[in-house]
Order: sequence, then structure tokens, then C-alpha cells
Amino acid sequence: MISLKDINKVYRTKTVETLALNNISLNVPKGEFLSIMGPSGCGKSTLLNIIGLIDEPSGGQVSIDGQNISNYNSKAIARFRNEKLGFIFQSFHLISDLSVIDNVELPLIYRKVGAKQRREMAEEALTQVGLKNRMRHFPSQLSGGQKQRVAIARAIVGKPSIILADEPTGNLDSVMGNEVMDILLNLNNNSGTTIVMVTHDESMARKTNRLVRLFDGSQVQ
Amino acid sequence: MIKHIIKLIWNKKKSNFLMFLEIFFSFLILFAVFTFVVSNLRMYQSPLGFDTEDMWLAHLSFPSELDSATVADTKLRLVRELNAKPEIISVGFTNSITPFSGSTWVTSNDDNGFDLQTWVVEADEHYGPTAGVNIVEGRWFNEEDALGKYPAVVFNRKLWEEYFDEQPVLDSIYKLNGKENIVVGIVENYKYRSEFEEEYPTTLFHKPVHDAGLASLHIRLQPGTSVQFEEEVNQTIAGITKRSDFIIENLDEKRKDNSRSTWIPMITLLSICLFLILNVALGLFGVLWYNISKRRSEIGLRRALGATADNISFQFISEIMLVTIAGILAGSFFTLQFPLMKLLEVENIDYYYAMGLSALIITVLVLVCAFYPSRQAAGINPAIALHED
Repeated sequence: MISLKDINKVYRTKTVETLALNNISLNVPKGEFLSIMGPSGCGKSTLLNIIGLIDEPSGGQVSIDGQNISNYNSKAIARFRNEKLGFIFQSFHLISDLSVIDNVELPLIYRKVGAKQRREMAEEALTQVGLKNRMRHFPSQLSGGQKQRVAIARAIVGKPSIILADEPTGNLDSVMGNEVMDILLNLNNNSGTTIVMVTHDESMARKTNRLVRLFDGSQVQ
Repeated sequence: MIKHIIKLIWNKKKSNFLMFLEIFFSFLILFAVFTFVVSNLRMYQSPLGFDTEDMWLAHLSFPSELDSATVADTKLRLVRELNAKPEIISVGFTNSITPFSGSTWVTSNDDNGFDLQTWVVEADEHYGPTAGVNIVEGRWFNEEDALGKYPAVVFNRKLWEEYFDEQPVLDSIYKLNGKENIVVGIVENYKYRSEFEEEYPTTLFHKPVHDAGLASLHIRLQPGTSVQFEEEVNQTIAGITKRSDFIIENLDEKRKDNSRSTWIPMITLLSICLFLILNVALGLFGVLWYNISKRRSEIGLRRALGATADNISFQFISEIMLVTIAGILAGSFFTLQFPLMKLLEVENIDYYYAMGLSALIITVLVLVCAFYPSRQAAGINPAIALHED
């Protein structure tokens, strides 16, 4: 499903060169729930961004669904991201000026799905995360856990085959964190969605199928 | 996408309201200035109807104690002697309602069976050819007109169109001030007050050259006549009239002086407008820049969710353009009242041109100001923007 081969990422400034990822090779089969752990600054988020095609590696090859993404132009990558990938972020990244349902519809707008179908799909996604009754609310009217559930609804509304979650429980207390984790586990179990999750929380990571540890940009486990 | 953007604008109506107001007031100010400018320029384009180049004008006076025969003799001698000079092509007389003098004589009545208002000028049989008046129907006055049963009149096309619907009027009776007159010709234009004035229905009455009431002397010179010749003319006039209380004016200079009083406010207003436009542009640029820097994480998110760089650019330009269109529409609602309710004496077409120009300038200005910030927004790296919070 996801194949990373000899991925390097170097950040360069005029005076400093920082190696963020060092020859990472990773295969994530379809339906796997993989967690990535490591200390802050070890390159977890960079790796997730490269898998999510929102950052480019300095070297190496990224293949998703058997397609070598290196040959894609920016428009094709945007379309690929829209159709195949769903994102969940630690700080939710909901647009505060849009209602819950409008936030959830966002990926479908870029897929040019018609308004009626968009609304139906968004309602269905919100039902899945138990927030249909809050669809007219604005993000500021929701708790942290609810916001993250909206973000999950937004990630799944387009029925992507891969979900990339960057510390999805990082800003939540343990109860809400467990709720969010349960939703992700259900998605993985019931829909067969491949999930790659970056986390600092060992207990959350243990619930996943496999754990990869990074240290100073290198894979250590 | 547009519906989504409208929703976003509506949900951010408080912050968009200031921009809306800026556009709205800018539109109103531009409309006011452009109405003034367009209206003046349109009037400027319509011809005066007489020549000003190589034309001199002298306002003479004939004391009331002089009998009419003496005045007639003096005037005829003056015409003869001036015409004898090789530098002079011809001379003619009018009453004191001369071009750019600021004097006006307006009269109105319903003697013809309908309400009629006209500006009035009196002129002799030589004035038309001397001033280069453009006859479109009939003829200018001649000496026989003084012997006819009715005084002869010529009027301008504006009067002919407005009151006679361009029906044949030559040799017909035209009543004014309780007197019957005969129409002998129609001139294309006679816009004697200012280049920046509407053509007004105007009637030119014939008075014979020797009439004491016609004391304004118009002199048509050979092209290239030097200004030193003025001294000779001055001596000739003073010698014949035995008076020195007159001055000779260059009609073209007079025209330029007269026009300056409109050009100066027009250029001043346009300069103020340009300054306003620059300020609005800087303001817009700043607001857009600030908006984009505040919305970096939203841009990153949209890119992550599948938006292309063009989508981002389109979104930011559309947002500002929709607010601009709303401001222009609101402004148009108010400005449309001017032509609909005839609030000022300005042609409707001038209002519509001013509205169109204002809308065009604001639209182009906003597009130019939005282009660079929106391209910058499109270039934001989502990986960085999403980790800035």
C-alpha cells in the first residue's frame, strides 16, 4: 500500500544542513494500523508529511498503491492526496469560520462533488463519529474531543484508503483520547482503512498493529 | 466553490465589512469625480460652433448722446477701414453677449403655442462669416434682411431639435418677445459661454451693422498676423470712434482662460482621486497580506485536503472580488438614483459612464492588489504551515 525506499530529508539553510530523515525504508500493507514513535524532533512528522505528499523527500522513492509518486506533477499530487489520503492533526485544523458540516465537506469541494451529494456524504461521516447533531455548530462551540471527531469525519468523508494521523490524541485528555483512538481502530477494523499514526503515547501505540520507532531521523525499530 | 467562498465571506462578515465599506466609499468618490470629468469632457468634445483662432474682439461703446446717424457713420467707416487692411479678413458686430464674456440673455415665452426658452444673441450680417459660424440649413443674415417685413433670426440645431423636432422651419414665423420674426437659417452649434457647457437653445437676431446696440467688434485676421498689429488696430479704432475706453482681446486666449477654470478643478480632483486610489491600493494590499499571514494554517490544510496552488489563488482572489462586487453593487444602487431621479443637470449617459469607469478602476485595482498576495498564498508550503500553530 505504502512503500518508502531509502527516504532522506535534508533541511538546508545558508549555514546549516540538518538531516531530518536518514535512509528510511518502510512498507505499510493495506489495512495495517501503524504507529510511529520517537522523541521530539526525530523526524516523525516529516516522515508523515512525506507519506502524505505534502512534503518532498530529498532522496528516495515514495510509492502508494503501487504508483511511484515521484513522477507526478503538483496537480496530480493534489488530486491523489484528495482521493487517497485523509489527514488528522494534533491541533485539529478546523476552519473556525465554517460550520462543522462545512468543514467536513471541504475535501469534497476540491473533488468537485455536487452540493447535495456532498451534504449527504458529510452527514454520513458525522454520523460515523457521533456528531450529526452538532453539524450546524461552529468549531468554537465544540470540546477538544468533538473537534478531533469532526477532523476525523473530514478525513474519512472522501472514503480515502489511507489515513495519516499526526498525534491525534496529543491535545486531548485520556478519556477523549481513548474515544478518538476507538474511532480510528473501528475505521481500521471495519473499513480496512490503512492508518499511519504519529504518537508520543505508548499506550495508544500499543493498540496499533505495528510500531516503528525513529531516533535522530533513523529507524531504530 | 463559489458557494463555499460566499459562505466563508458571510461567516466572516464583520472583518469583511470594513473592506466592503472601503470599496463602497471609494466607488462613490470615484463616481462623483468621474461624473464631473466625463460630463465636462463630453461637453468639451462638442464644437463651439465658431472660430476662436485668429480672432480679436473689441468692446466699443457709443455714448447715448450720439444720434443714430452718427453712430452708423462711425461704424460703417470703421468696418470699411478695418476691412481695407491686408491683415484683416473681415469684421462683424454683435451685442455685448460675446463668447466667454459670461454675459447671457435668456428669454422664454409661449408665443409659438408651446413653452420655449432660448438664449439670445444679436449679430449683424457680417458676424456669421467672420466668426466662421457653421450653417446647416438656410443662410446667414444679409443686408436685405434689414428691409424685410419681419426681423430675421437664425437659431441653433439644439433649439430646432428641442422645439421644432427638426421639422422645416425656414421662412416660417418664429415669435419671440411679442414680435414676429422670420427664420432664415440654422447653425450647427453656438456654444458661446464655455467649452465646458451644454449646447443651449440659442436664437441669433439680426441687427444691421450700423445699429448702435451692436458694439462688440469681432475681427478675423489673416493666419500668422503678429501681435504688433494690435497697436495699429487700436489706433484705427480710437481714431474713428474718438474713444480710448476699449480693449482688444485675443478670443483664443479668452477661450483658454475660460477653460482653465474647469481644467484646474478637473485635474485637481483627478489628482486627489489618484492619491485616493493609491491609498486604497496600499490598504487593500496590506489587508490581503495580513489576511493571508493569519490564514497560513488554513491554506496548509486546504493544500493537504487536495487544493491545488491555483485553487488557493482562485479562492483568495474570489473572496476579495466578491466583497468588491458587493461594494460596487451597493454603490451602484445609490449612484443609480442620480440618473433615475434626475438629481443634477447632468446627462444620464455621463452617470452611466462614470459608474462603469469607477467599477472598472476598482475592479482592476483590486485584481492587481490581490494577485501577488494570492500567488504568495498559493506558494505556501503546507508541511510548514500546518506545523506553525
